[in-house]
Amino acid sequence: MPGPLEYSIWIICTLLEASVVVCSLLRRSFRRYFTLNLYMIASIATSVGRYLVLARNGITSDEYTYFYYYSDAILTICLYFALMGLYSLVFEELGAATYVRAFSMLLLAGTALFSYGMIHQSENRMVTLYVIEMSQNLYFVGLVLTYVLWGAVLKMRETRARVIQFVLSLGVYFSLYAANYALGNIYPNLGHIWTYLPPLISTLLPIAWCYAFLRFSEDARLAPARLAVIQR
Amino acid sequence: MSRKLAVLFLAMLVLTGAMSLKTIVTAHGNGTVMMANGGAPVPIPKKVVKRGDALVPSVTQNIGN
Repeated sequence: MPGPLEYSIWIICTLLEASVVVCSLLRRSFRRYFTLNLYMIASIATSVGRYLVLARNGITSDEYTYFYYYSDAILTICLYFALMGLYSLVFEELGAATYVRAFSMLLLAGTALFSYGMIHQSENRMVTLYVIEMSQNLYFVGLVLTYVLWGAVLKMRETRARVIQFVLSLGVYFSLYAANYALGNIYPNLGHIWTYLPPLISTLLPIAWCYAFLRFSEDARLAPARLAVIQR
Repeated sequence: MSRKLAVLFLAMLVLTGAMSLKTIVTAHGNGTVMMANGGAPVPIPKKVVKRGDALVPSVTQNIGN
């Protein structure tokens, strides 16, 4: 069973996620950033569900393993929609909402088909393998999309402080997980570090989003010169 | 029509880039699954009794056993 440190980080993370939703409600931004809040609510619900399954069956049980990976896939899809919500916000002034929606659905369908293509020869536990593969692939799609969005933010001279904060924090979040995974494979002898880091990394996203809701108003702007110095 | 094709092309481009990145990141992987949501502890697979010198199955292979 997890120790007090793991439980503490888990509880702190869940409380931080709840505080994101509370902050957005207090700032009357819940509907505007609905997809971000949806991800946080889904994450809170998943944490509660995981705790119940863990307490009843134990960390080595099949029940917890299945619940963990299936719920993670749902959360990754929610995170993907949160990212697409940010795309809609960045491109809303261009009136490209229809194209962003079509793009996101095409990419989701493409990822789903690609994942199926990778596991379709498996005879056993096909659904489980598909869920894991889809979750992994969607994670990397999200990582690339975040950097593409950051490029668009720079190119379009986006100045809304909240949007910039949301995009940057997502980029850091995705990148830290990928770096943790890659380093864990390169230095497997430091296994305990790579095991403890992901829960700590997962607290960064709600902290950054909470900060964005509390620190910046909807109208707050950043000077373009502070985003990037573009040589002319 | 050209805009629709551009959207399709961009989606495929992002998918290709993402899968290439995945290949690079997981190139030296041992088959473990990268999970990126929430602070819940990652499940520990049941202990595999090792007989002989064969490789120990990865976490993914243990799911559902």
